[in-house]
Amino acid sequence: MLENAWLIPALPLAGFIIIFLFGRRLGEPRAGVLATLMTAGSFVVTVGVFFALLSRASEDRHHVVTLFTWLPVGSLHIDMAILIDPLSVTMALFITGIGALIHLYAIGYMHGDPKFSKFFLYLNLFIFSMLMLVLGENLLVTFLGWEGVGACSYFLISFWHTRDSAATAGKKAFVTNRVGDWGVMIAMFMAFSAVGTLSYSGINEAAESGQLAAVTATGIALMLFIGACGKSAQLPLYLWLPDAMEGPTPVSALIHAATMVTSGVFLMTRMNPVLHVSYHWVMTIIAVVGAATALFAATVAVAQTDIKKVLAYSTVSQLGFMFLAIGSGAYVAAIFHMVTHAFFKALLFLGSGAVIHGMHHQQDMRKMGALRKVMPITAMTFIVGWLAIAGVPPFAGFWSKDEILLYVYANNRGLYLVGVVTALLTAYYMTRQVIMVFYGEARWHDQSEEHGAHGDATPHESPWIMLAPLVVLSGLAIGGGLLQLPFSSKTHFLEHWLEPVIESGERNIDGTWASDNKYLLLLVAVVIACLGIAGAIAVYAKKKAPALEPAILANGWMYDSSVSRFMGGPGRAAFSGVARFDAGVVDGAVNGVARVVGSTSNALRKVQTGFVRFYAAILGLGVVVLLAWFLLRGVL
Amino acid sequence: MPEQISFPILTAIVFLPIIGALLVTLLSDRRPEWVKLCAILFSVGTGALSLWVLASFKSSNADFQFVSQHDWIKAWGISWHLGVDGISLFLVVLTGVLFPLVILGIDPHHDQKRYFAWLLLLEAGVMGSFLSLDLVLFFLFFEIVLVPMYFLIGGWGYDNRVYAATKFFLFTMFGSAFMLVGIVATAALARHDVGYLTFDLVTLAEHASFATNTGRWLFFSFAIAFAVKVPLFPFHTWLPDAHTQAPTGGSVILAGVMLKLGTYGFLRFGLYLFPEAAVWARPLFLTLATIGIVYGAIAATMQTDLKRLVAYSSVAHLGFIVLGIFAMTSQAITGSVAQMINHGVSTGALFLLVGMIYERRHTREISQLRGIQKVAPIFAAAFTVVMLSSIGVPGLNGFVGEFLVLIGSFQTARWWTIIATTGVILAALYLLWAYQRVFHGEPDEENSTFAELKLREGMVLMVFIGIIGFTGLYPKPMLERIEPSVDKLIEHVVSHSDFMPPAEIMPPEEIMPPEEMMPPEEMELEK
Amino acid sequence: MNALFAENLVGPSISWMGISPLLVLLGGVCVLLLLGSIAPRWPKGSYCLFTVVVSLATAVAAMLQWHDVTKNGPKMLIADAVALDHFALLATIAIAISIALVSLITDDYLRREDYDGPEVYALYLTAAIGGVVMASSNDLIVLFLGLETLSLSLYLLAASHRKRAESQEAGLKYFVLGGFSSAFFLYGIALTYGSTGSTNLSKIASALSGDSPFSQIDAMLLVGIGLMLVGLAFKVSAVPFHVWTPDVYEGAPSPVTAFMASAGKIASFAALLRVLVVAFPTRIDDWRPAIWVLAVLTLLAGSILAVVQTNVKRMLAFSSISHAGFLLVGVEAAGHVGDKDALAAVLTYLLLYAVLVIGSFAVVTVVAGKGDSHTTLDDFRGLGKRRPAMALALTVFLLAQAGMPATSGFIAKFGVIKAAAEVQSYSIAIIAMLAAVIAAFLYLRIMVSVWLADSTDDTKLAVPTGAGIAITLAAVFTIVVGVYPGWLLDATRMVSNLATIAVQAVDPATQTPAG
Repeated sequence: MLENAWLIPALPLAGFIIIFLFGRRLGEPRAGVLATLMTAGSFVVTVGVFFALLSRASEDRHHVVTLFTWLPVGSLHIDMAILIDPLSVTMALFITGIGALIHLYAIGYMHGDPKFSKFFLYLNLFIFSMLMLVLGENLLVTFLGWEGVGACSYFLISFWHTRDSAATAGKKAFVTNRVGDWGVMIAMFMAFSAVGTLSYSGINEAAESGQLAAVTATGIALMLFIGACGKSAQLPLYLWLPDAMEGPTPVSALIHAATMVTSGVFLMTRMNPVLHVSYHWVMTIIAVVGAATALFAATVAVAQTDIKKVLAYSTVSQLGFMFLAIGSGAYVAAIFHMVTHAFFKALLFLGSGAVIHGMHHQQDMRKMGALRKVMPITAMTFIVGWLAIAGVPPFAGFWSKDEILLYVYANNRGLYLVGVVTALLTAYYMTRQVIMVFYGEARWHDQSEEHGAHGDATPHESPWIMLAPLVVLSGLAIGGGLLQLPFSSKTHFLEHWLEPVIESGERNIDGTWASDNKYLLLLVAVVIACLGIAGAIAVYAKKKAPALEPAILANGWMYDSSVSRFMGGPGRAAFSGVARFDAGVVDGAVNGVARVVGSTSNALRKVQTGFVRFYAAILGLGVVVLLAWFLLRGVL
Repeated sequence: MPEQISFPILTAIVFLPIIGALLVTLLSDRRPEWVKLCAILFSVGTGALSLWVLASFKSSNADFQFVSQHDWIKAWGISWHLGVDGISLFLVVLTGVLFPLVILGIDPHHDQKRYFAWLLLLEAGVMGSFLSLDLVLFFLFFEIVLVPMYFLIGGWGYDNRVYAATKFFLFTMFGSAFMLVGIVATAALARHDVGYLTFDLVTLAEHASFATNTGRWLFFSFAIAFAVKVPLFPFHTWLPDAHTQAPTGGSVILAGVMLKLGTYGFLRFGLYLFPEAAVWARPLFLTLATIGIVYGAIAATMQTDLKRLVAYSSVAHLGFIVLGIFAMTSQAITGSVAQMINHGVSTGALFLLVGMIYERRHTREISQLRGIQKVAPIFAAAFTVVMLSSIGVPGLNGFVGEFLVLIGSFQTARWWTIIATTGVILAALYLLWAYQRVFHGEPDEENSTFAELKLREGMVLMVFIGIIGFTGLYPKPMLERIEPSVDKLIEHVVSHSDFMPPAEIMPPEEIMPPEEMMPPEEMELEK
Repeated sequence: MNALFAENLVGPSISWMGISPLLVLLGGVCVLLLLGSIAPRWPKGSYCLFTVVVSLATAVAAMLQWHDVTKNGPKMLIADAVALDHFALLATIAIAISIALVSLITDDYLRREDYDGPEVYALYLTAAIGGVVMASSNDLIVLFLGLETLSLSLYLLAASHRKRAESQEAGLKYFVLGGFSSAFFLYGIALTYGSTGSTNLSKIASALSGDSPFSQIDAMLLVGIGLMLVGLAFKVSAVPFHVWTPDVYEGAPSPVTAFMASAGKIASFAALLRVLVVAFPTRIDDWRPAIWVLAVLTLLAGSILAVVQTNVKRMLAFSSISHAGFLLVGVEAAGHVGDKDALAAVLTYLLLYAVLVIGSFAVVTVVAGKGDSHTTLDDFRGLGKRRPAMALALTVFLLAQAGMPATSGFIAKFGVIKAAAEVQSYSIAIIAMLAAVIAAFLYLRIMVSVWLADSTDDTKLAVPTGAGIAITLAAVFTIVVGVYPGWLLDATRMVSNLATIAVQAVDPATQTPAG
């Protein structure tokens, strides 16, 4: 079975090629069905691979399938190879699984779009790239996927490219990601010059065997972290993610919540031995950046009115949590949270998609309310997602978030505090969203008139093809916590599973105060969640207190706008300065030479007066000079 | 000299286009279709020959193959010496492939007879330059290509063509002025070592040894010519004008193969003839290359003329090539050669596409174009693929060369590489921005009638895109033919200078005890 | 002259074969003039035909001598006054070729401007006599005779177009200034004679070679050299003694201009080399710097002045000046004793340039039309449409003059640059190449109006037979030599070192049968 692992990426690729060639002829809905089947198929294969791997002993759960030699030059030898190990399979499982669900959902969501088949073309290409990213046996294959998902996200964000905002958002996403890619490339160069290979096993072995000096390790780690910040939307590079909501909602769910944005976390986990041998402050930096991002995004989410923007900032915040975990050496927790987050965030996005769909592309929560009556199933599933992310037991989010906070507490109490506050805010703004969308009085009647042309303006429930994924995901959002229960080491399924990958990096907190009093921390987490929810209810349902939504928060602390202003102002001025320098100085010098020759020519030309006496004078002058020279030679 | 084959195929490659050009001029203007047919036949024939060379090329052999050597000007020790090795092989093939595509893909607006004649002559010149192994012979072809290109730009270019053509001609000639003196001086000075007067590249490189300073002067006399041709900052300003004013075919050829004459010259003559000087000049050229990368990209961002933008992007891309050449590691130089080909393909395709836009809209002004993707999705798709390859997205050919250059250069030119890598960000910036302005958005009425890709155009583009995809995913066949010659060149440089190639680091599969490992911070190899 | 006869009244023994080229030319002149005056109206084109035959005969005679010299080595004739060596013969052949080509152009020109007659051809031949004498003279007096013969013929030729005021003016200017410079030259001879006691180049050389008493009187001698240099610099139109050139070239009838730029230059440069290399090898350090400066000035001024001109004839005049600069680079290199490549290079350059410039002026002659006045850039507009073949030929000539490879121009330049590089005068070599780049601009300008500018009138202009032949021959020659120059170079390489021959000539002790 492991030998057939290449099928995992191959199937979506095949889907891509088929749709590329016959997409127009397939048309709606067949293109979508095909794409969905391909992704589902690759999910099935992944499951098979998973069990094949499970059947092995934990230490030799590591299998490489080499497809062909990609870049062989001298000592540099890079194979197009995929690596099957617990980490990559875990990633592949939820990528293909959730991917398939979202494909299915999209068939309904994209119904009637003129570029229906093209959408699934991109979607399959994305799944392929994402799988290459996680299955890659070496940094370069991962980078292939890394850039591939970047490109796909560019295509899909600007899918409705006639909207300028969409086009701009796509470009912004790609360019911002490129900044991160710069880091990844430098990291690869360092790794190659230090270890002579780019394969994970090679680099990690070097790190474990001490062949990799701390300095180099630190360099590689930091550069990779820059890359991770780009892809996983961490400060200061998170800018592109909120704008990315311009894309169709399934895209937001798949790329900008569940899969692509987590690849930074994946990369960090993949390279955990290198992080382990690098200077300890690298971990601190990662943790601090993660915490800062988490808090920052949470505060911003509090004041958003666009249903998707809230979820976007919440995603940034949750990703911050994951990096906080990484920085605390809690790789398992990070992956755990990544998976659960994939479940409930995908669920929430798809739910919001259903709402938007039902509201005829209305995204402003102030124009919603009381929707649970008209779209009950959507409402139910959305509420499940809400409870999960808010950290209410026994939903998935609770366990993973608690796991992280546990490690953070053991690692650094200051950051723990930040984490707790973030958790509080998370519960608060999610509750706020649920209330604004599904409860209270309906604020969408008033705009039914202006919507008159659109036929019936009353929101409607979505077709089953969109609801089915919601139901499945809500199931996962409820039960996802079972992967890793804190009660005893026997219930640490995920930890045992990932053991071979993260053993060197994973931090051991046994015997610390945190692990001894983990139930106390559990309790704190529950209380925090409840506080957040209660607060939101008080403000938005009961109207006990005025809503606290200052403009500064709504505008994300003015960070994005000021960056844009800088780019548009001084940055642009500098660029055009260079262009003017080129035209004026560099080219000016060239043309200047020509002009000098020309003017000299004109000046000398005056000598050719045509008057013999003048010519004779010149002759005489020449004679004098010449004779002077010879006389000098003679006399001396 | 390596195996001689009976049929002088390289000589044929040089002469076939010349014959074609003569025939074309002799044909009567009243039968335009014959003229075109003749041009197509001869260019395709040449292309076929070059493919034959590729097919029968011994991939593991680092020496010159298919060598044909005859006395030409005995009195001066100048010989007709042609040969191809891994470094020139793919440039020859690229030339052989590009010209038929240009002739098939683009029709001149007038005087197609003269147009094709000049084009074929140009092909002969370019082929000759890539194949010559004799300094004077190389100079002959290197210089002769100016004439056809001058007439192509001046005769079939746009509004400001004469200015651009003259600038191109004189600027390049300025460079060659120094090179000619350098060539003659090289041969004259090497006379004592070689024993007789010869301009044969191999003989000179193997036997001549110059006093340090002499070698450096000579190197620079060559380097100026190549730096202008590449073009290297700050000698690049002829390029945007030439590109903007040249007819589409001219631009494609100019970007596709002619700029490579410079980078190829650096490899074949700079490093090979004057290793010591080349090593000594590394910092200068690494710096100029890095400046070119960043500077070209920034300048490109601010262009309002689509063609000019692509031209400046060439300045940046060729910066990568020069960076790799002077980094002098196996990966870097192999990458440079690969990048020469890949840039030729992707930028050639870009110019082709820009030309098609001009054909349809009669403007290159970005501000005049808008929302083309909506009316011409296939055209937009083609443009996207080519653009991504030019940005250097993995899986497409653009990435292969760029990545190899950078990862190779990092071994010996760390800080330059770190700066140069930012060019990757900028590339995305200027191309995507341009793409957004041209293809995205709602098309206004002039653009709403933008015609979709025609069959013939599609055919030509398919070839380009095919190469882009294949090279990107499976560059092995290319790399394994390039590398042996590159390694040979590096050995030559190392043995003739104090240059130290980076220490070969064993991947931990064959682990060595840690103390034997150099601590990486001491692995800085600059100076 | 008198001095010469006073030495031996019996008169010197004369090997008639040795001077056969001269005799052929002389015979040609006499026949032409006699018959011309006897039978006033010759059939159309026969003057030209006759001249061509004569010049070819001269060339043949010279070639016969060439083989003789190759076999028996060079020798001195007429009391060591005239040298018979490859150098002289090659110059002779070059001059002969130039006359042939020029007369081909002249034929139709004269009829077009209707003053057909033998005079012009006769003057060509007399000028050629002067030129050959200059090139082969081994005595300053003889050289001066040659110089004057040449010059006088040229003065007349320049003024020969009676209906064109410019032509008259050109002739007069050339005469006045030419006389001026000849005076300098003559005075230089006198001073040299005064300081060395001889006018024979070989004798001067040996007199100056170290031990002899004269070698001390430097100032006088050097001034002499300087003055002679002035005279010759004027003839080769080296800056700043070039002032006459543009006006005369522009004013003179186009074929005559071609003649001056070809045969005239060959003779003058040959003479210059003879004087400097044969007579003053011991004073190299004195004259080489002067030549260096002259070369640089000539190169730069020639190229730069050409840039803004609008009259093609004038452009070509300036370009001929910058070519003179290139030739001076060769002369500078020739300053190194025992270096014969430079001599070969200069002669090759002269020959190739002669053909090029005649070709170019042939086209100019055709385009100029009746009255010989349409010579501005605008008159060349659209030539590519009107006369593609001729336009292509012109392009070849221009590219060759710009030094493009695969044309004779490249071979010429390469030879000179090589000569310079071999004696390590890199700086001047680079200056020369850069000047060539500047000069290239003017050739491009002509090509632009020929090909790239749309034509004002599409009237097919007729190309007369003679000019047609001349242009075709010149173009073919240009390309052939450019692609396959081996044979020519092998020939010119036989031009052995003048100085050594001369020395051999004076004392029979060192005389050795060359082999």
